[in-house]
Amino acid sequence: MKQIVPPRTALQFLRLVCPRQLHEGIEGDLLEEFEHDVVSRGATKARWLFLWRVLLFCRPGIIFRNSFSLPITEFIMLSNYLVIAFRNILKNKVFSGINVIGLALGLAACLFIFQFVSFEFSYDTFHSKLDRTYRVTNDRFQHGKLIQHGTIMYPTIGPTMAKDYPEIEMYTRLMPGGAMNVKVNDEIFTGQNCHFTDEYFLQVFDFPLIVGNRESALKERYTIVLTETTARTFFRIEDNDFLSVIGKTLYWGLDQQPYKVTAILKDVPENSHIQFDALVAYATLFTPEHPEADNSWTWSDMRHYLVLKPGVDYKNLEAKFDDYSQRYFQGDKVSGSIEKFYLQPLKRAHLFSDYEYDIAKVASGRAVWAMLIVAIFILVLAWINYINLTTSKALDRAKEVGLRKVMGAYKSQLVRQFIFESVLISLVAFAIAVLLVALLQDSFNTLIDARLNWSRIFTGIDLQTTIIFFSLMVGGMLLSGFYPAFVLSSYQPATVLKGKFQRSSKGQFLRKGLVVFQFTASAALITGTMIVSKQLRFMNDSDLGINIYNTVIIQQPERTSWDSTFITRVETFKTELARIDGVVSVTSSNNTPGDRLPRAFGIRLAEHPSSARYTMSVMNVDYSFFDTYKINLLFGRKFVATDHKENFQDITTVMLNVSAAKLLGIDNPESAVGKEIIWGNNGTRKWTIVGVVSDYHQESLRKPKEPMVFRPTYSTYHDFSVLTKDAETQPLLAQMKAVYDKAFPDNAFQYRFLEEKYKTQYRDDDRFGKVVTIFMVLGIVISCLGLIALSSYTAVQRTKEIGVRKVLGASLASIVSLLSIDFIKLVLIATIIALPIAYFSMQGWLESYAYRIEISWFMFALPLIAIVTIAAITISMQVLKTAMLSPAQTLKHE
Amino acid sequence: MGKEYLGEFEELVLTMVGILQEEAYGNAIVTEIEERVGRRVNLSAVHVTLYRLEDKGYVKSSMGGATNSRGGRRKRIFKVTNAGLAMLRALKESRMDMWKLIPQLKFG
Repeated sequence: MKQIVPPRTALQFLRLVCPRQLHEGIEGDLLEEFEHDVVSRGATKARWLFLWRVLLFCRPGIIFRNSFSLPITEFIMLSNYLVIAFRNILKNKVFSGINVIGLALGLAACLFIFQFVSFEFSYDTFHSKLDRTYRVTNDRFQHGKLIQHGTIMYPTIGPTMAKDYPEIEMYTRLMPGGAMNVKVNDEIFTGQNCHFTDEYFLQVFDFPLIVGNRESALKERYTIVLTETTARTFFRIEDNDFLSVIGKTLYWGLDQQPYKVTAILKDVPENSHIQFDALVAYATLFTPEHPEADNSWTWSDMRHYLVLKPGVDYKNLEAKFDDYSQRYFQGDKVSGSIEKFYLQPLKRAHLFSDYEYDIAKVASGRAVWAMLIVAIFILVLAWINYINLTTSKALDRAKEVGLRKVMGAYKSQLVRQFIFESVLISLVAFAIAVLLVALLQDSFNTLIDARLNWSRIFTGIDLQTTIIFFSLMVGGMLLSGFYPAFVLSSYQPATVLKGKFQRSSKGQFLRKGLVVFQFTASAALITGTMIVSKQLRFMNDSDLGINIYNTVIIQQPERTSWDSTFITRVETFKTELARIDGVVSVTSSNNTPGDRLPRAFGIRLAEHPSSARYTMSVMNVDYSFFDTYKINLLFGRKFVATDHKENFQDITTVMLNVSAAKLLGIDNPESAVGKEIIWGNNGTRKWTIVGVVSDYHQESLRKPKEPMVFRPTYSTYHDFSVLTKDAETQPLLAQMKAVYDKAFPDNAFQYRFLEEKYKTQYRDDDRFGKVVTIFMVLGIVISCLGLIALSSYTAVQRTKEIGVRKVLGASLASIVSLLSIDFIKLVLIATIIALPIAYFSMQGWLESYAYRIEISWFMFALPLIAIVTIAAITISMQVLKTAMLSPAQTLKHE
Repeated sequence: MGKEYLGEFEELVLTMVGILQEEAYGNAIVTEIEERVGRRVNLSAVHVTLYRLEDKGYVKSSMGGATNSRGGRRKRIFKVTNAGLAMLRALKESRMDMWKLIPQLKFG
């Protein structure tokens, strides 16, 4: 007969719950019964019975047997501890309230930040090849200087790298397609964002598929993969019948070619660094006649991802890229600059990217870490509060401790009692914190512009992080209970019960140290908040060199055919727009402020040797650009209508900004006017500089101003910028729409306000500012709560002393100062410690901004004054109460 | 520390330990109770009771020899101590005394 064994897990479980000395006997009995059951009831039933019987052994009589030395006494005492704990809490309602609320606030803040931080760290973790996937990044150098630090490169990079290096398992190519403008069943949809990706994209990344084939979905030209929501919008799907969409077609722009839907993806998770609504087959981009998108060594719009074979060290592969660059780019001969390639691990893409032309959703990893550290600080502050309050209250419990000891309590029992109490308080605080988080979740989400909640967090992060976080919480909880417990339990009954017991000076130092720590943190937070908010205000208020206010950006009419009348129609449209009452000026340009501009890599002065190459950002604008944006012309003239040519090759004029003139080696920008530059057509095309404008902030103040070259061009599907007289644009928009609809029928009128668009660049900074502010307030509140409790306690302790002093003629003021001076000293010390800490950390933060405020002395003086004032007010409220008591009352007893 | 009191189930188990002598271990007691009293009891309940009796000092236990059945696990054999026996006897006597006090009904 085959041996039938009971469930293994049940046996393991039994071993876990049974005390060791009992285990063998119990297991034996169970096994015997099991063998019996197998014969009488059959194997299956026996196994179930076995499991059931094992579970029945989970009773306190078994599990806790001999794990406490005196289990019965312990249980009796437990209820006593509970009663005593509750009596104590109720006896000092204010005190306990402060204690619990301080702790709850700290915990709630910590929970929120934990949510936020774990979400930020969860980016892209849903890809199974995450650890082996890398982004290729590309730095370009000219004259030994870094001129571009980007994620964009030539379409040939992926295929050649994969061919040359066997370490690469797979690569994928991507080119952003921007907002789509599609026609589905005679309906027009705009705004869905798409990428051109090759067939490997869905194999490198695990975006979940609803229908379709991962391997073949993007193989053929003119195929498209939609996300769930996009499919619903385009094809009006009601009941998840995504299968019916497969094989349907849609039309893009004015393209006569139908695009066929081959697969439907689930919506892209929020924590993906690449975001899109649709993917279009990369093969669509090139044909045998126009193969540039496949084989160009100069067209750099493509992003590449590599999957390395398991066990390959990416640093080793990266080291080989110098050879690679030399092999294909031969110095700067091919592309005009020295090309260097690097690999960025995919898991760093979201938080640790500082690339130009990046399509990834990025956030500042340093800010995330900073928030985490500050959150932990707040929690520590709250725990310190707890320690401080409990130990300062210890005197009240001294008699209890003495009596318990006389009655025969062990020290270990007392320690256990007080830890039990602190765990109890921590649990209450934790419950309140969870409640707070639940209540404030929505407000917090609005504040930081995210959609966080717990279920999202716990599905998003790995078990390890959760365990670390919770053990930190529990560890802190216990640790904050330990110190008071040991202080309390170490009282000698003889001294305590004689009634002469006075507050010992032992532990004073620690308590003071903790207060100093609290206020150090608060002061540093105040300084930090001030500097952050000043920097934010500075970025919002500083003169950009251009006007971003009262400007509406109208999206270009994509569904308008490019024909001989296009330029005329666009020009007419602009004229008609300008004719609207309230519109000051209209311009079209290939980019608008806030955009990262494209770059040209091979510009030089005609007088330079032909080996010279300089890089500038390029702006194609029309003649009214400088007026619309109020850009300051320094020398020469602005573009006029005659600079524009219908044929691009006929244009001969450019304008520069000051930096560009300097870059070309012209020290006095005035003399740049009239000079010729060489740019394009393999170094043969000449352009005359007609004007020089001052530098302006094309991008946020985080980025430096760049050398720029302007070309006078008619719109080739450029967005329009409309400057209005005042901020009241609503009535104008209707008129603009009418003009637009007349000029470009079959297009949707889409607009946005430039100011909003420009300021989205500061989204991350604003969020950081808000969070830091909240933390500052919390830090101060928690520290002050501690101070209130401590000062009131000292005041009460010294009631009699004050009475005597008053009888002897001390004034109210002198008593108040006597009582406060100790605390004020501590706070002062704290502030002084905080200043250098704040200075160095904030200096580091400011360095990430190209344009930043200077840290000045008053940013340190102000927190000092603020915190001393706050502390003084907090203390004096308590102290005054005691100091005002009539000595007759305080001295009556005794 | 006079907790000279035995629950009904404790008494039952203690009695069984007395009856079974050298073979008094968990499973045997369960079977014995079922056979003699017709009551189905849980193995775990019996174990817990045995340990409690051991705490109170009415039984003592030792590991028996290894066997081939039971997956090679040894049995924990329980033995009634003198205190246990005295307790059983005291219980029996007090019952008998009380029984005698019940008026014996006579018919006819």
